[in-house]
Amino acid sequence: MDENNKKIGAVMVVGGGIGGIQASLDLAESGFKVYLVEKNLSIGGVMAQLDKTFPTNDCSMCILSPKLVECARHRNIELLTRCEVESIEGSAGNFKIKVKKHPRFVDVSKCTGCGDCAEVCPVEVPDEYEENLANRKAIYRPFPQATPGAFGIDKSGACCECMQCEKACKAEAILHNMLEQDIELNVGSVIVFPGFDEFEPKLREEYGYGLFSNVVTSIEFERILSASGPFQGHVVRCSDKKTPKKIAWIQCVGSRDSKIERGYCSSVCCMYATKQALITKEHSPDIRTTIFYIDMRAYGKEFDRYIERAKLEYKVRYIRSRISEVKEDAKTHNLKIKYEREDGELVTEEFDMLVLSVGLDVSRSAKDLAEKLNINLNSYGFARVDSLEPLKTSRPGIFAGGVFSGPKDIPETVTSASGACALASALLSSVRGTLVAEKKYPAEKDVSGDIPRIGVFVCQCGINIGGVVNVPLVVEYAKTLPFVVYAEDNLYTCSQDTQDTIKEAIAQHSLNRVVVASCTPRTHEPLFQETIREAGLNRHLFEMANIRDQNSWVHMKQPREATEKAKDLVRMAVAKVSLKEPLGRISLKLTSRGLVIGGGLAGMVSALRLAEEGYEVYLVEKEDTLGGQAKDIYYTLKGEDVQKFLSKLIEKVTSNNKIHIFTAATIEKIEGFVGNFKTTIKLNSSLKELEHGAVIVASGANEYQPTEYLFGKDKRVVTQRKLEELIATKKLNVSNQSSIVMIQCIGSRCDENPYCSRVCCSEAIKNALALKKMNKQVNVYILYRDVRTYGFKEDWYQKAREQGVLFIRYEEDDKPEVKLNKDKLEVLVKDLILEEKLLISADLVVLSTATVPSEDNKELSQLLKVPLNEDGFFMEAHAKLRPVDFATDGIFVCGLAHSPKFIEESICQANACAARACTILSRDELEVEGIVAEVNELKCKGCRLCKEICPYGAIDVELKKVLGKEKEVARVNPALCKGCGACSASCRSGSIDLKGFSDSEILTQIGALV
Amino acid sequence: MQSVENRIKEKAAELLTTKKVDLLIGFERGTMPLRASPAFIYDEADIEKLAWNSFCEMNLARYLTRITSKRVGIIAKGCDSRAIAALVVEGQVKREQIMIIGVPCPGMVDRRKIEKEIKGEIDKVEEKKGEIIVKGNNFEKVFKKNNYLYPCCKVCKHGNPSIYDILIGEKVKENSKVDEYAEITEYEKKSPDKRWEFFEKEVSKCIRCYACRQACPMCYCEECFVDSFHPKWVDKSLDFSDIAIWHIMRVYHQTGRCVSCGACERACPMQINLRFLTEKINKDVKVYFNFEAGLDLSVNPPLAAFDIKDREDFIDTC
Amino acid sequence: MKVKEPKIVAFLCNWCSYAGADLAGVSRIQYPPNIRVIRVPCSSRVNPLFILKALQEGVDGVLVAGCHPGDCHYISGNYLARRKFTIFKNLLDYLGIEKDRVHFTWISAAEGARFAEIVKEVTERVKKLGPVKRLVKNRSA
Repeated sequence: MDENNKKIGAVMVVGGGIGGIQASLDLAESGFKVYLVEKNLSIGGVMAQLDKTFPTNDCSMCILSPKLVECARHRNIELLTRCEVESIEGSAGNFKIKVKKHPRFVDVSKCTGCGDCAEVCPVEVPDEYEENLANRKAIYRPFPQATPGAFGIDKSGACCECMQCEKACKAEAILHNMLEQDIELNVGSVIVFPGFDEFEPKLREEYGYGLFSNVVTSIEFERILSASGPFQGHVVRCSDKKTPKKIAWIQCVGSRDSKIERGYCSSVCCMYATKQALITKEHSPDIRTTIFYIDMRAYGKEFDRYIERAKLEYKVRYIRSRISEVKEDAKTHNLKIKYEREDGELVTEEFDMLVLSVGLDVSRSAKDLAEKLNINLNSYGFARVDSLEPLKTSRPGIFAGGVFSGPKDIPETVTSASGACALASALLSSVRGTLVAEKKYPAEKDVSGDIPRIGVFVCQCGINIGGVVNVPLVVEYAKTLPFVVYAEDNLYTCSQDTQDTIKEAIAQHSLNRVVVASCTPRTHEPLFQETIREAGLNRHLFEMANIRDQNSWVHMKQPREATEKAKDLVRMAVAKVSLKEPLGRISLKLTSRGLVIGGGLAGMVSALRLAEEGYEVYLVEKEDTLGGQAKDIYYTLKGEDVQKFLSKLIEKVTSNNKIHIFTAATIEKIEGFVGNFKTTIKLNSSLKELEHGAVIVASGANEYQPTEYLFGKDKRVVTQRKLEELIATKKLNVSNQSSIVMIQCIGSRCDENPYCSRVCCSEAIKNALALKKMNKQVNVYILYRDVRTYGFKEDWYQKAREQGVLFIRYEEDDKPEVKLNKDKLEVLVKDLILEEKLLISADLVVLSTATVPSEDNKELSQLLKVPLNEDGFFMEAHAKLRPVDFATDGIFVCGLAHSPKFIEESICQANACAARACTILSRDELEVEGIVAEVNELKCKGCRLCKEICPYGAIDVELKKVLGKEKEVARVNPALCKGCGACSASCRSGSIDLKGFSDSEILTQIGALV
Repeated sequence: MQSVENRIKEKAAELLTTKKVDLLIGFERGTMPLRASPAFIYDEADIEKLAWNSFCEMNLARYLTRITSKRVGIIAKGCDSRAIAALVVEGQVKREQIMIIGVPCPGMVDRRKIEKEIKGEIDKVEEKKGEIIVKGNNFEKVFKKNNYLYPCCKVCKHGNPSIYDILIGEKVKENSKVDEYAEITEYEKKSPDKRWEFFEKEVSKCIRCYACRQACPMCYCEECFVDSFHPKWVDKSLDFSDIAIWHIMRVYHQTGRCVSCGACERACPMQINLRFLTEKINKDVKVYFNFEAGLDLSVNPPLAAFDIKDREDFIDTC
Repeated sequence: MKVKEPKIVAFLCNWCSYAGADLAGVSRIQYPPNIRVIRVPCSSRVNPLFILKALQEGVDGVLVAGCHPGDCHYISGNYLARRKFTIFKNLLDYLGIEKDRVHFTWISAAEGARFAEIVKEVTERVKKLGPVKRLVKNRSA
């Protein structure tokens, strides 16, 4: 092989938003070195600015910040903040990339994030993170959880170079003369997630943004809602900081608007506006909330239910209307909104505050980046991708996702990130593990049975702690505590030289346990644990006392009390650490094979990807043939040939010798756990046992079988799929007079199936356009409730309108009727604009039928011990950040089994599953964290309480001989336990305890408190 | 009651002779009048011992977690059957190993109340249609049964067994309208200081003999938290705080498990009012989680489950 | 005579409430120094016995805080905790333990200001009650 074509086991991820973060973590966990390139000071992206996330109302920062920390501490990830890609050479497998590193003016390795510099900085400028609703200093950290936590100086006009910060910084981290740097990196693949910028609402000046003080964008409102935002979460308007009585949201600002080159739907605004209205109501129930919208696009999983909740429980008012005018009352700064009701009447209504639901623009850096990477963009400037290869850019080896390839919400972004990883990982499977370095540690000292010898290190944190707490006094006090043999104070305990000091002290004083009294363990515990591990101590022989974030910083004017509190906290930490025992990291063997349940499109894609990533796969399909639901789909909205794609895929899957296919096979039993599953399948009435390390559920869904509208009684009433088949197989003739009526939401959004089936609007439009292509004169009617053509699908909706497809909206409680008049088919529907019934004679009535969960889901969910949602689809571990994982490790879900979706979305999820499974299969052994529950079998009576409540299914009850007596006892699977301790706190007899947070340890802390 | 007793005997004979069970747990007449004791019948010869009367208040489920026989028949009133069901849910009893002979219970009589009203030695006790006739050397006294029921029986809504394999006797009409927690609701209205005073008074009587625990069908831990040395939750002292913690945790541990059989209170030699603790828990479990222990084998007790819509009015801060 | 400052223990879940407490610090929001935090993985880790033991040891007030419903890092831990403390808190009230001794709440990682508010509120209420007595060991001594 040519030396230049040698593959490189490293990947560059461009963009440090949630997509880039997920991609970095997945790749780093799959044996690749990752360079995460972010142009700003911190990773986190827009998600770091959000208050809550829909439809679960999860706190955005709560779920994001653990990922930030994980990224920063991962040994395979190198964070390159303030960096931008300059140029790229080479080809898939081996790229050379030049990266420009802009100066931060602060040495990240020295900065302790104490904030002394910002304290003295005299310059205040508008804070971008707070959407300019608050100020920040010229030297700043974008937000408290910023990663890396180091500060940076804004020299683009802000910094006055007074050098106060340099004087204040005791860590000598500030470098005012830092220069721009060029870095050259060699990687095998590039994953591009530049994300988005919000639409600039000044482009739609009629809404008065920038002119009227109480008109804000949705992202500004997000900060207003945030408890850590400019108004501490009080919903107030900008003009007078008073709580508004009435807030209106205007949808589609910068979306569905071809006049300003944004013809696409931004896909997320209906939901986030609903979320904001709902959270507003939670903050202040008296605020009246109104959302002005065109179509309610609640197409995603659990979305319609969320909207219903907003309407019924929270009384959010939804008005279907376009806004024609916004005026400000000069005195009150209230806003008068003129809008047209559906019946054509113009109404003016006054609100105290107006939120513009701004759309998603492709990142402003994307164009430049695309040019440098030489990848193609679509007409809107987003990455051009194919529906059947939704993660590949036009340049081999470069993959893209997130909003860069089209408007998406968080879970879809995360899914595409994992999906892109699967493609990179498949490309580079031969060089997996070549660039990741294992760290070598000295052997752990055996301290069992030794009397505790505790060292206490108290941090001054410059003046952050020392300025309030009398640190020397705390050190002297620490020396008097039981088992403490050494104590000292440090200017910065976290600095590199102190790490050496700690190691020396451990050696010199034979310390076997260490306490650091400094900042928060949430950010610094891993650093100190690493230090003591390097000194030969087990990581868990360590405890921190948080005397900064939870003491000196919050009692700045009470030095005496703060010093007393510091002593208490040190005493509690010393008491706890004296009881601590080394906790092992348990290593378990694993089987590097995957099992894919379901041989439809999603199942085949994930099986193929896993095989390409280098793992053997069992593919189990209950039908005789592969293909699933996709067998009935002929073309995509964009016109791609699905059947051709499918037959090629089947060929690839069947010819891949790593994939073992079992058709007409059913799953009988699934035992085991992550890394070590054993599944029994039934094949021609004989049983076969398969061993594997991960499971991908791709068991698909079904098409709803209609009973309504004369279906089955009159041959001219067909499903949308049947129509597609008739068109594709050229069995349908349409004349100029032909009249085809499509009825939407058959079996969707009804009492029986309250969810939206997501694809039917676009499928109807797809077929309507195909009919128009056959004969431009043909009459096509689409009777709909909301047209949910999100993203770029909106273009086809507009095209259909242009071509004369007639869209007639109907209300749920006034459904269209289909009747036989002699032998003529007639459709009766109420026209909501004309307020009268329309009679349409139809040659063909086409029913857009729902996607319904497979009847096998229930059994499969029981076999796998994973949950289904209320609608009967499989329920992922977390709606936002773990979209294809189950809470139980090692089991993943994709395709229609998860919820109704398009082919490209199934493909994304299927790839994502392969990537997530690869993070397990690529390991040599499963390492289990030491903080796990442990059963005292002598005490345990097997009452099942712990088993029932364990959120991870980590506990089983089994028959066991204990001291010669046979009895049922609980058993914890450490590979599945996540260390929450719910079991331990629930056990009546104290038979199950959580290592690291044991009953004794907590009791001793309580005892030491007073 | 006579006919029920005979049918119990017939059934017991059938089960033992056909070897459907190895052991039958029922009641027998006590050595003292107005008393019944548990009977453990392994042999059909002993069947005659079996009794059924108004003094069979013991919860026989208590013994199921302590015996080793493989197949056990058990006489079960409403509360016994509920305890059995709760034990099945908690894996302490295998449903298939237990033959439940359900006997609808009209309520059991508190002998202490009768004894108080009788002076002299009792020779004979008879039961007739809701009346207890106590005969002695030179007296005969008739007691209206309903006036002498145990407190838990007075407000019992589950006299009929919740689960059984065989039912003996007619189902009793359960009083579904009675407010079984009326006393508790009334007590809750007192001021916190008054409540504390009462709690202190009651609990101070405790001598830590643990008879309440021994009598409870749901107390089956190998080692009770109160006896644990590692960690040591509660000191072995008669300090009020240690006794109080024992009682608070004991009753907390009954959350969603107590079947209101009253065994603990009857067992207490110091006559501590324990019902005011257990019934508070039972009331809250009913109010907050709409759950009563031992009625349904397919429902997890409330602390082994959750509902995202659970109330959270215990949060009172900000 | 100087009144002894009360001590209050706070059991905070690592992922939301402890992070919220840290955020109060980062934002330099001042609150009374009576609180001592014990970090636990999840609000579901808090055994009611911890609370009784704290009161027995002479801790004057107890605060337990976890992630808001739906936010739990461990999926459902706070829902389990919610059930536990519904029963437990009601029981304590019922027995006559002063309502303001023991508090439960939800605090997210973004609610630094709210954390400080709650600490203020709890501290004030505990101060009003005076030193813990009812379950303290060796009361007579």
